[in-house]
Amino acid sequence: MLTPEEWGIMLLSLKVSSVAIIATLPLAFALAWVLARRRFPGRFLLDGLVYLPLVLPPVVTGWLLLLAFGNEGPAGRLLEQLFGISLMFRWTGAALAAAIMSLPLMVRAIRLSIEAVDRRLEGAARTLGASPLRCFCTITLPLSLPGVIAGAVLGFARSIGEFGATITFVSNIPDETRTLPLAIYSALQIPGSEASVARLAILSVALSLGAVILSEALARRGQMSERMGHVL
Amino acid sequence: MAHFLHRLWLLILATALLLPVAAPSAALARPPLVLAAASLQESLEAAASAWAAKGHERPILSFAASSALARQIDSGAPADLFLSADEEWMDYVQARNRIVPATRVSFLHNRLVLIAPVASTVRLTIAPRFPLARALGNGRLAMADPAAVPAGKYGKAALEKLGVWASVSERVASAENVRAALALVERSATPLGIVYATDAKASAKVRVVGTFPAGSHAPISYPVARLTASTNADAEGFRRFLVSREGRAIFARYGFASK
Amino acid sequence: MSFDVDIAKRLGDRDIGARFSAGEGVTALFGPSGVGKTSILNMIAGLMRPDTGRIAVAGEMLFDARARIDLPPEKRRLGYVFQDARLFPHKRVRANLLYGHDIAPLAERWMSLDEAVEFLGIRPLLDRWPRSLSGGEAQRVAIGRALLSAPRFLLMDEPLSSLDRPRREEIMTVIERIATELKLPILYVSHDRAEIDRLADTVIMLE
Repeated sequence: MLTPEEWGIMLLSLKVSSVAIIATLPLAFALAWVLARRRFPGRFLLDGLVYLPLVLPPVVTGWLLLLAFGNEGPAGRLLEQLFGISLMFRWTGAALAAAIMSLPLMVRAIRLSIEAVDRRLEGAARTLGASPLRCFCTITLPLSLPGVIAGAVLGFARSIGEFGATITFVSNIPDETRTLPLAIYSALQIPGSEASVARLAILSVALSLGAVILSEALARRGQMSERMGHVL
Repeated sequence: MAHFLHRLWLLILATALLLPVAAPSAALARPPLVLAAASLQESLEAAASAWAAKGHERPILSFAASSALARQIDSGAPADLFLSADEEWMDYVQARNRIVPATRVSFLHNRLVLIAPVASTVRLTIAPRFPLARALGNGRLAMADPAAVPAGKYGKAALEKLGVWASVSERVASAENVRAALALVERSATPLGIVYATDAKASAKVRVVGTFPAGSHAPISYPVARLTASTNADAEGFRRFLVSREGRAIFARYGFASK
Repeated sequence: MSFDVDIAKRLGDRDIGARFSAGEGVTALFGPSGVGKTSILNMIAGLMRPDTGRIAVAGEMLFDARARIDLPPEKRRLGYVFQDARLFPHKRVRANLLYGHDIAPLAERWMSLDEAVEFLGIRPLLDRWPRSLSGGEAQRVAIGRALLSAPRFLLMDEPLSSLDRPRREEIMTVIERIATELKLPILYVSHDRAEIDRLADTVIMLE
């Protein structure tokens, strides 16, 4: 089984990923909604920016985060002045890196989900007296929920495995930023640590696989429920 | 048409079979591969250039933490020479019969220093129980990984000897290798760091706050050895060059002391 | 004067428009497919904006291009029965029926759930999911949902087209009763002559 240190690493990974996904979900939904429903000049630019972390080398993303949120960066200094928080070498920085890398996947899944909502149902709700806000809360949101959840779980799986951006941005600090992939990388640097590497690797596979399977199951359940006439 | 295709297939098959035969000679044409500790970056590059200027093939140099290199060597890396930043990792690979013992020579020395970003005005005297934790404030101490990388191990040993390690062990920003630790201080990501004197000398963006007393850690000694996996005839020549008077003089220019 | 409509819109490469006034009872909009009958209903419902014109129903101005009046659909107090029912798949029949009812102010609700259920004969369906309903059942629930949202007038877009003969009879009877018993003005779109002949008090030809 796992040593206490390895348990600590897993718990840190879970903490970092959970915070990353939960904090990013509203933003991901907002972006997905704007991209799905609104036409405006520069829309394709926003689209590109959102998907950038998916295609950039993770190290580059980490470096950009460093430039912006490091001690000397504009956003970093702002956070320091306004809230007194610094992301450098902290698990919150690792969460930010994980969030940025998972955002494209989440936005994509949620956007597909929103686009699948029949707009004529929203029209019907409006004729029945629902304001746009009520229509959103009672029709759009519930109907897109399975896709939102599937997207969140997929984003979670991605963030568990996040390495390049994390190590570039917040380095590899035990108990703060040494998430599962970083811990495996460190263990690999030290000869004779095969057993530890194997345990951590199995754990990593189990977590990611579990999350992906769950995401698929939720997405499929959403479809099935649609066919049977109800959602969730 | 069919006849032509048959011929084509035969050609492909022949090439595929002959390729392995051709390969070894390709290996001989490759220059020597040297695995070296990260702190040797500039000095070893200069030595390699000097060697090439004598008309030899310029060796290929790969820099990383000695611990990482030891792992690669133990996994059978096809390299020719190993330059480690401490004797322990050389002992490790020797115990596993990865080096030719007769070729092992310790020939360079280094000192350990405390550095700060060049713009910093911090003043500290390195002595038993010196106020390092207070000087760090909210920041961290950049070091190579104290668990495995030589520069980090020396640093931890020195801080332990001075009775300061306990107060800062939670505040360490541990880096992949000593150069990565140097980079953290250069970027002002940390207020202080521990690197080799030669690293501080190589960087214009840091200043030395103090030098650790030689007695606070084991002597920093760099051994070189030829690997048993070495197949390159030129490798031994390069090794001899490094430990020669001419070679040592090159390293001395970068701040390394010789035996 | 129940409906006072004078609107025009360019959709793609088609010009759609209508100009008519109609009194009480069932007013039918009749014309061939593609002439834009559904678009006209959508404009009266507020789901599509006309380029020019005015829409007034039962004396209230819903849209006036020149006066810049354009009430959003939720403020027009209408009930809209769509060709394909459009029940909310994630809510059961009861919740569908009550959707508009619960939004409407208490004082304006002129029909209760029980009354609607009896009127349409849909009590056994209350706990069912929309997907499990037949065409006729779904259409009746759609009518009930529209009636329960406290509308002052009804729009119906070919509500019988996806139904078979016996169901058609059922629903036509219901519509007649809405017009006569509940006294609700209805704007009814169809391309079927027989339906129009039976139900309509006024016929507007569109071409």
